Amino acid sequence: MNLHIIVCIKSVLLRVPKGRTIRTAESCELNPFDRPTLEAALWLRGRYGGSVTVLSMGPESGTSALYEAIALGADRSILICDPALAGSDTLATSTVLGAAIKTLKPFDLVFFGTRTSDSDTGHVGPQTAVQLGVPLASQVLSMALGESGLIAERKMDGVLEKVQVSLPAVITVHQTSYPPGDPPLSGIQTAFEEGTIEKWGLKELSLSPESAGEPGSPTRLLSMTPISRERKCRILTGSSEGRADKLLKILMDSGGIS
Amino acid sequence: MDTFLQEKHHVLQRTVRAFCHREIIPIAGNIDKEARFPWEVQEKMARLGYFGIQVPAELGGAGMDTVSYITVIEEISRACAGLGLCVSVHNSVAVFPIMAFGSEAQKKKWIPSLARGEKIGAFCLTEPNAGSDASAIESTAIRDGDEYIINANKVFVTNGAIADTCLMFVRTDPDAGRRGISVVVVERGTKGFTVGEAEDLSGMRSNPVSSIRLQDCRVPVENLLGGEGRGLVIGLSALDTGRIGIAAQASGIALAALEETVKYAKQRRQFGVPIAKHQAIQMMIADMATQIDAARLLIYRAAVQKDRGNSFTQAAAMAKLYASEMSSRVTDMAVQVHGGYGYSKSYPVERYYRDARVTRIYEGTSEVHRMVIARGVLAE
Repeated sequence: MNLHIIVCIKSVLLRVPKGRTIRTAESCELNPFDRPTLEAALWLRGRYGGSVTVLSMGPESGTSALYEAIALGADRSILICDPALAGSDTLATSTVLGAAIKTLKPFDLVFFGTRTSDSDTGHVGPQTAVQLGVPLASQVLSMALGESGLIAERKMDGVLEKVQVSLPAVITVHQTSYPPGDPPLSGIQTAFEEGTIEKWGLKELSLSPESAGEPGSPTRLLSMTPISRERKCRILTGSSEGRADKLLKILMDSGGIS
Repeated sequence: MDTFLQEKHHVLQRTVRAFCHREIIPIAGNIDKEARFPWEVQEKMARLGYFGIQVPAELGGAGMDTVSYITVIEEISRACAGLGLCVSVHNSVAVFPIMAFGSEAQKKKWIPSLARGEKIGAFCLTEPNAGSDASAIESTAIRDGDEYIINANKVFVTNGAIADTCLMFVRTDPDAGRRGISVVVVERGTKGFTVGEAEDLSGMRSNPVSSIRLQDCRVPVENLLGGEGRGLVIGLSALDTGRIGIAAQASGIALAALEETVKYAKQRRQFGVPIAKHQAIQMMIADMATQIDAARLLIYRAAVQKDRGNSFTQAAAMAKLYASEMSSRVTDMAVQVHGGYGYSKSYPVERYYRDARVTRIYEGTSEVHRMVIARGVLAE
C-alpha cells in the first residue's frame, strides 16, 4: 500500500520573545513536539511505502523548519505564507491547513504534534480533523495498518487504549512515541542544494481573506505577561525525624502530596 | 554572525548543537577525567557524516563548504574540545591532503572509509627533534623496489591511538634538505607499526594523543602522496586548512566558557546581589563576548575566502593566532569570575581553561603564526 502522509509542522521561537517578535532562521526551530511526528511518518513510509508531505503555515522564516524536514527525509515541502494570515488564531489556522490538505488529495493520514512549544494550545490537530470531516486519534503512541484502517495505541491515565480509525484520518502523535533521529550532514546539504519549498498563499487555496488572519479569528490575544516564579527557602530545624515530619506536613498542606 | 551564516548554516548549527547536548555534554566531564575516547559517540558522529564534512557525496561525504565545517567543529568543541580536535584533525589534515594531493586511485582507496568515519585519520609530522622546524624531520623512507622501508618516530600524534590511516612525513632523500621530505600513507596494522602509550595531557584528555613508531615498515610506493619531495608543500597546505578548524575549536571552548560564566554570574550572590550586578564582573563579561565575536569574524573571513577559492593562508593564520590566544584569555576570565569554584573540577570552566591552552601550541605555535603573518605583511 502506498500511503500519502501529510505532516503539519510549525516553526517555533527558540526563546520567549521580549517585545516585538522578529522571526529569523536564527531565532526559530522546528517545534520539538513535531520531531517524533515526522519520525512516525517516515517510519510508516519505510514500512508500508508511499510519500511524506510536510506542510507549514507561517512567515518566511518557517522555511528552515521545512528544510530540516527535507533533511530528515520528507518528499515534498509546502509553506503557506501570506501577509493576510497574520494574527490567525487556532481556528483560522485549522481552516487554512484544512483547505491546503484538501488540495493535496488523495491523502491517507494527516499527522500533527500534540502541541507546540511556543503556544501550547493543542487545538490545531483536532480542529483540522473537524475541518476535513475525518476521524481523529489523539496522543498516539504507536501505529500499524490493519485490515480496515489504522490501528493506533493511545496512552491514557494508567490505561493503554487500542483504537481503529478508518482512513483518511488525523493523528496527533505523542512526543514519546517515535524517538526522532538527527538529520545527517549529507541530508542537510542535499535539502538546501536540491530541495524546494513550494510557497502557497490564500489565492492558491481559494480562500477569502475573511476566513483567515484576524478577520477569520474569533479569538483575540489581549496580553502576554511573563510569569515569574517566586521561590522561598525555608530551613527546617530539629532532629532528622522531626524535620521529615515537618516537611511531610508542609507538602501535604500545600497539596503537593496527598 | 548573520553576515556569514546562511539559513543552511543555522539549521546545521542547531542540529549539531542538539546532538552535542544529548550525546556529548552529559559525558564530557567524565571522559576528561578518565582520559577516555568515547567510541559510542564516535560511531554516532560517523553515521551523521561528521567525518567527511567537505568530502564530495560520490566519495561518501556530505559535500559541505568550509563555513559548515567550522560550524560543526565549533559546536563539538563547545561540548568537548578533545572530540572537536579528533574531528578537526581527521577532516582537515588527514582527509583534506588526500583529497587535494591524492591520485584518483588513492582517493578511492582511502577516502570513502575515512569520510564514513569507519577509519580515523592522523597527521604524523612532529618528532622528538622536529616540530616548528618541520624541515628537521629524521624519519626515513628508503625505496626498495616497489616498496618503501619506513623507519619513523612520531610524537604527539593527535588521534594517535585510534588512527587507522596515517599521513607520515618522512625523508625520502636524505641529502635534499627541505625538498627531501615526502608524505607516505601508512595504515595501522602494517607490520612494524606500533602505537605508544597515550600522553597524560593537561587538557584535550578525551583525545588519545600518542606516539607512533614505524620499524622497517614496508609500504607500497603507490602510498606516496603527491610525489617525492612534496612533503612540506602538502604539510603547509594541510595546516592552512587545519588552522581554520583549530581556530573554530578555540572559539567553541570560549563560547562554552562564556555561557557557563553568564549562568554562574547570574546565580552566585555576593554583597547581597548576583555578582553579574557588579561592574567588575560586567567588564570581564563584556571583554569575553567582544573578543569571542572578534575571533569568530576572523574565522568566518578565512572560511569564506577558502570557499571562494581565494588565498587564505594569511587569514587562516590570523584567525588561528587570535582565536587561540582569545580562548586562553576568555577561559582565564571564566575561572576568575567563578572564583575558587572555577579552580575546582566541580565546574566545567576548569576543563575549558586546560583545553584552551594547547590551541596556542599545536598546528603551529602562536610564535610560528606571527612569523607567517609578518612574512605576509612584509612581502606586500
